[in-house]
Amino acid sequence: MSYCVNCGVELHETAGECPLCKTPVRNPKCPADTVSPKPYPADKGEVPPVSRREIALIVSAMLASVSAACGLLNLLVLNPGRGWSLYIIGACVMLWVILVPPFLTRRARGLPHILMDGCAVALYVGLISLDLRGADWYTAVALPLIGGAMVFVSLLYLLLHRRRRSLLTGIISYIGAAGVYSLGVEWILDRYLIESPGVSWSLVVCTICAALMIPLIVVRRRPALREEARRRFHV
Amino acid sequence: MQEKNGAEKSRGWYRLDNSAAVYPAIQRDDYSAIYRFSAVMKKRVDPALLQRAVDLTMPRFPVFNVCIKKGVFWYYLEPNLKPGPFVKPDIANPCMPVRFREDNGYLLRIYFYEKRISVEMYHALTDGAGAMVFLKTLLAEYLRLQGYEIPCTLGVKDVAAPPEEEEAEDAYIRYATSETPRGMKEDKAYPGLGTRAPFYTLNVISGLVSLDELRLTAKSYGASITEYLSAVLIRVLLDKQKREQPHRLRPVALAVPIDLRRFFPSDTLRNFILNVCPAVNPGMGEYTFEEIVRQVHHYMRLNLSRQYLRAKMTGNVRLRFNPFVSRIPLVMKNPLLYINYQRMGNRQYSATLTNPGVFRVPAAMREHIQRAEMMLGQSFAARANCGCISFGNTMAITFAGSIVEPDVEREFFRRLVRDGIHVRVESNREEGNGCHTA
Repeated sequence: MSYCVNCGVELHETAGECPLCKTPVRNPKCPADTVSPKPYPADKGEVPPVSRREIALIVSAMLASVSAACGLLNLLVLNPGRGWSLYIIGACVMLWVILVPPFLTRRARGLPHILMDGCAVALYVGLISLDLRGADWYTAVALPLIGGAMVFVSLLYLLLHRRRRSLLTGIISYIGAAGVYSLGVEWILDRYLIESPGVSWSLVVCTICAALMIPLIVVRRRPALREEARRRFHV
Repeated sequence: MQEKNGAEKSRGWYRLDNSAAVYPAIQRDDYSAIYRFSAVMKKRVDPALLQRAVDLTMPRFPVFNVCIKKGVFWYYLEPNLKPGPFVKPDIANPCMPVRFREDNGYLLRIYFYEKRISVEMYHALTDGAGAMVFLKTLLAEYLRLQGYEIPCTLGVKDVAAPPEEEEAEDAYIRYATSETPRGMKEDKAYPGLGTRAPFYTLNVISGLVSLDELRLTAKSYGASITEYLSAVLIRVLLDKQKREQPHRLRPVALAVPIDLRRFFPSDTLRNFILNVCPAVNPGMGEYTFEEIVRQVHHYMRLNLSRQYLRAKMTGNVRLRFNPFVSRIPLVMKNPLLYINYQRMGNRQYSATLTNPGVFRVPAAMREHIQRAEMMLGQSFAARANCGCISFGNTMAITFAGSIVEPDVEREFFRRLVRDGIHVRVESNREEGNGCHTA
């Protein structure tokens, strides 16, 4: 038998080192037994991943029943000549695409989900535009706005989630993105409505965003200020 | 409340007992309240025979032959008619989290490795005393299948006899009759955290000590074995906190589960325990080891009384059956219980030390068993917990946790060695894996 020279404990015959302090066993009279079984097995067990299909099923069933109930009400009772229930069914499909896939995949997949969510919103708005015969505003306003929002959300995701960023960096990024996006919104709306894009209200939004961002950036970059903020706002 | 106690058994389901109600709510992807009891036999385990013993034993324990289901307001246990549980070769990372739908829904697992037979139990089923009864009965059946005569005494149940009514009772309800219920609130304790090891890891270090030596040493300090071991662990955690140089020194408190059957007679096989939390506050000044032992000793003597335990038990039971709490739907109750446990249950102690006592078996069984072992599964927070159990003259003190550094274990066993106790250590930690401080 061997003893750890540091800890003074007796070691198992198969131990090559002390499990408490990692001191190797150097006992010429009693070297570590490499043949006998170890005190614990070496094979690791695997824990099966948690299934979230149940939640996905409940959400799907709820959305499906809302769609079916509204569809039947529309067909049989309320205003059968006008397909108002398509708005609700479309909204349910959109919500399904947004809510359910995250429960069916094992790991959160940011970019594919953002893409799918954007497509679902675009499809739903497309459905509304079809009903209202608004193909022109759909292509000129709705699609660019949704596409722009998707690009911004994707960029924010890449910036903030791929690498761990501080809460302050996150807030600064969101405010900055909101300011830039407002410029794009005004430009798209102006182009459609008055055909002479310019900058007016979005400049006010951008100025407010910049005014909010500057002190946050200063706090972010000065450790003393950051510590002060942490102290004052601790919960 | 008495009407709720076991009335549903005849209808084929079990309400979770007062202590068990919290465990499914605090279940996480990487955490379940699991613990393990093992017996190291004198001969290699025969898995086929062990499986037959399990098949014979399980029908005797209908309270363990269950799966867990979600109700609208609470989880509940339902008889499990699926085949199982099946014995499995042991694994390097014991006490893995439970998945309610895996293993055919069984909430206990049986493993074998070389000479060791292990039973892992989900805490919602039973406490240490119930698990020990199950393990003893299983071992007795296993030995009977080998041709030995084993009497049904000292906790070994007769598998041919029908289960007793009282084994399924929620004993908390029977005894929660205090006029002045006490709450659970304690001070926030030093968390005693370490670096979290990767998921699937449970680092185990077991120290085997002579019970006689331990008893003598504890006696020299005027304490019982549990009090002495608690004091050693508190000393180690106090030193660890001091090394970390925190902004503010917090009390070091241990959660020590107490088997209430010692105070309130009951044959229940379900949970019937209550935690007491001996604590030492270093903010009040330096403590010598003798002072810590004295503090723990007096705390135990003061708090382990029928009246105090009953008052505490009543507080818990009243909260469980509070009409407002009961009527919150489970989907909302789960996060509330989780947050409450995180804020109240988990923060009140720095580590858990459990000593279910002596693994007493009939004399005919004793000659086939080398020793008993007990380990707690991973903790809710990243820290190591300690489980002790004795058999014959050997006490196994097992630290298990999902943290990388074995600081607490090292200082704990070094302290025992310094006190003149011979310690033999065994571990499942991988060798040649970094360098710890000596």
